[in-house]
Amino acid sequence: MPETMIEISELTRNYGPTKALDAIGFQVQRGEVMGFLGPNGAGKTTAMRILAGILAPTEGSVHVAGLDMIANPVAARAKIGFLPETPPIYDEMTVREYLTYLAALRRVPRARIRLAVDHTMDRCGLKATADRLLRNLSKGYRQRAGIAQAIIHSPEVVILDEPTVGLDPIQIREIRQLIRDLGGEHSVLLSTHILPEVRMTCNRVAVINQGRIVANDTLEGLEQKASGIGSFFMRWNHPPDLDILQQIPGIARIKAREGGWTITPAPGSDPIPELVHRSATQGWDLRELVPAGESLEEIFLHLTTREEGADTVAAYASEEVSS
Amino acid sequence: MRAASTIALRELRSMFLSPLAWTLLAVLFAITAYMFMAAVFNYQVKLVQFQSFGEVPKLSLTDWTIAPMLGNAAVLLLLIMPMLTMRLFAEEKRRGTWAAIASSPLSPLEIILGKYLGLLLFLAITVALLAVPVGLLFLFGTPDLGQTLSGLGGLFLLAAAFGAVGLAASSATDNPMVAALVAFGVLLLLWIASWVGEAGGNGISVVLSYLSLTSHYQNFLTGVVNSTDLVYFLLLAAVGLLFARQRLMAERING
Repeated sequence: MPETMIEISELTRNYGPTKALDAIGFQVQRGEVMGFLGPNGAGKTTAMRILAGILAPTEGSVHVAGLDMIANPVAARAKIGFLPETPPIYDEMTVREYLTYLAALRRVPRARIRLAVDHTMDRCGLKATADRLLRNLSKGYRQRAGIAQAIIHSPEVVILDEPTVGLDPIQIREIRQLIRDLGGEHSVLLSTHILPEVRMTCNRVAVINQGRIVANDTLEGLEQKASGIGSFFMRWNHPPDLDILQQIPGIARIKAREGGWTITPAPGSDPIPELVHRSATQGWDLRELVPAGESLEEIFLHLTTREEGADTVAAYASEEVSS
Repeated sequence: MRAASTIALRELRSMFLSPLAWTLLAVLFAITAYMFMAAVFNYQVKLVQFQSFGEVPKLSLTDWTIAPMLGNAAVLLLLIMPMLTMRLFAEEKRRGTWAAIASSPLSPLEIILGKYLGLLLFLAITVALLAVPVGLLFLFGTPDLGQTLSGLGGLFLLAAAFGAVGLAASSATDNPMVAALVAFGVLLLLWIASWVGEAGGNGISVVLSYLSLTSHYQNFLTGVVNSTDLVYFLLLAAVGLLFARQRLMAERING
């Protein structure tokens, strides 16, 4: 039976007159890895800080493992582990000292601290660096130490705010593997704006834009809903002016990419025959026509720019071209 | 209390792992030791003068050496404590470690007590260090033990109150320099609060002289331990800590 580990409803957070979060709500079940997507400034970090009990919401409720974070923050915080954007590292401590310290703060029973520290270092690949000062560790290892402090007390819920930013590709792969392993035992909420990361680590996705949840589904579900988007990539030897392309009916968005254009058709229409026809008759000399690969990126763009309306789509497209 | 003592021990350790604590102790010790030496020499000169009048018994060794040294140490601590306390919260926020503490199952009071306890341990070490030259005097003369202990205790209480004010200032801002300046300003105002009182003489002067740190500390230096002074220092510390607690709770709401 699935258990709800994170339950957020009608969560609003104002900073003065600005609404950072506008009545958002979602749930994460036990063992799930939920991807939390959104452009910069969408409210991801605010939501995560509220969930971690650092920030109080203006309105709404937050329950973690059944405990009310607003009414009973001390008890509820025992159920969460939080990795903020910058890992909360004490430079002057060794990895072992650091984790021992935080284990005590997270109320791990004294007799079990040693075991918990050893176990967590093992899980996060920190065994070899146990007695080195955090100051002297590379960014990847500091990040691991940050994740280690988030799981040292085996919390029901782990909240990770952009855990792979600034790491090299090998480190990223290792951290992602670690996150995948965390799911199952813990419930994980992972914020990121790296979309392939979501595909590799998450079961579900919530997309936030301008303080609102605009999608909340499984990956497959999202892709199914978005299948009408069907973007493709075209490249010509003698490409036409952007104006001419934009006048072709049935095109929602045009984006420059690697010497060609990624074209997103308007829902329900298919501009490909017309494009091919014109390529042939007007001497554009078509070289390439392939489906655009990163469909998740398109879903994301679609979701986070949807509210701008059809009129602004063209403006948006030309803006992207000129930049 | 376990969480508070965990925080306290880490605080103390981190102070001694940075050059800050060592430098502060070295500066404080060097200056007070020099002042103590000057006071002892001054006493010798006075001794000769008093001998010529045949009034040696009236010249208290403690009043002329230990008390002025502890009085000067207090002024130095007034300058130094804000520098020690300014980083209590600001540094955690700057390094981002605050998130690890704020997301731990701790009440604001536990965090504050932990930080404060760490500071008190450092102050205990400081006072113990300053007691060394004072103790040496006992090898060569007969200072008043009670008065000396009262003075050292008073210094600890005074520094503890300084620390609470500094901690409150640190909780109110993310900028260490601002925290240090505010703490220093408040402490200096409290130090000189009785100035108006001495000139006035009305009801306000009574209040101001009660608020003044100087008068309460002076009693300890003369060997008078009374509950009014004790309560004053404890009250000042409590106000500082409660202010900091309020700040931490408000911060959660205001962001």
